[in-house]
Amino acid sequence: MKNKLINGIGLVVGLLVVCVPMFAHHGGSDYDVQHPISLKGTVTEFFWSNPHCQVFLDVKDDSNKVVNWTIETLAPAVLRRAGWSRETLHSGDHITITFVPSKKGTPVGMLRKVLLPSGEELSGGALGEQPPQ
Amino acid sequence: MRKSFLGPAIALATALAFLAVARAQTDHSGAAKTNARNAAFDPRDFTGIWNPAPFMQPKGEVNPLDLGGHPNPLPPFTPAGEATYLANAKFIAAGAVLDCDPFGVSRNFFTPRPFEILLTRDRLVQHFEYYDNWREIWTDGRKFPAEVDPEYMGYSIGHWDGDTFVVDSALYNGKAFLTWQGFPISESMHQTERWRRVDPETLKILFTFNDPVNYAKPWSVTFFWKLRKDWVMDAHPCTLSAIKEYDERVNHADKLPGRDYGNPDKK
Repeated sequence: MKNKLINGIGLVVGLLVVCVPMFAHHGGSDYDVQHPISLKGTVTEFFWSNPHCQVFLDVKDDSNKVVNWTIETLAPAVLRRAGWSRETLHSGDHITITFVPSKKGTPVGMLRKVLLPSGEELSGGALGEQPPQ
Repeated sequence: MRKSFLGPAIALATALAFLAVARAQTDHSGAAKTNARNAAFDPRDFTGIWNPAPFMQPKGEVNPLDLGGHPNPLPPFTPAGEATYLANAKFIAAGAVLDCDPFGVSRNFFTPRPFEILLTRDRLVQHFEYYDNWREIWTDGRKFPAEVDPEYMGYSIGHWDGDTFVVDSALYNGKAFLTWQGFPISESMHQTERWRRVDPETLKILFTFNDPVNYAKPWSVTFFWKLRKDWVMDAHPCTLSAIKEYDERVNHADKLPGRDYGNPDKK
């Protein structure tokens, strides 16, 4: 079911090189970090809070059914250093969001990056220093 | 005759000066970076904000920041230590790791967030951004006190060995994890750290963990941090209301049980 949903409305973006270690309050290995996906949707809520912020967005699947996804982010401090603020997203914004999905098949994921309505792209931030490219 | 010599000489000098200025203005990368690395710094001054650089850890050591659930290699557990680790790992996998208890020293070090160093007359103070934990390292020559209760953050004393700052810490209460993976820590833990600024931008710390309850022998980890002169510390306090809300919104949405709030003593 989840695969149908993703195939119908999303873009499989393939293997992104992500240098951020898994660091959520989930069980550490509950996200499929090797297979990020991108979805287009409408923000229903942007919850700016510790320990992790959350983006909720409505996405239509291939049968036109609306699914509300929960995409958690890293902490506000990490997002701020990546250029975010609590005003970055608002209900009604049409965005493209890239995340690593839950392995359980639930509409839950961990943010990697977002394409804002303005065309600006913001990363989900970095944990610790990254190796020189 | 004299006039005819002076003219070309002035022109030549002007051209050389111009070339030198032009080169200095365009050489932003190589020489400038080398100069930054070699800039004079006080090897005994640790003040500032330090961000962890996990990629610099030597290969083959226990990775204290591998959060994928498969830290490899594992520390040299005792049978009791391994059993505690496996129980902790199961607890973490359930998403039940959320609480506001202080992290203890090592788990704070191995959280991928910055800490700030402040110096006072008799202490070096560490402020860890994540969950707003504080640590004091006494530098006034004192020994471990006889009458101090064990605590999450233990008790730390430091002294200099040349330009290496040596920290001994003990008096831990054994209730924290050593790392996010759930490596255990007991009241027997004696932790030593050897801090050294290897260049103006890099702090290297060699940790040695000696906890005979959980580990068959002392084991070590080398970890690095980078100085972030352009950063300020951000607010990240832990509040039970916020993590409970996170549990409801994220963990439960992903069918994870999260924490048992009916039993606040559950770890």
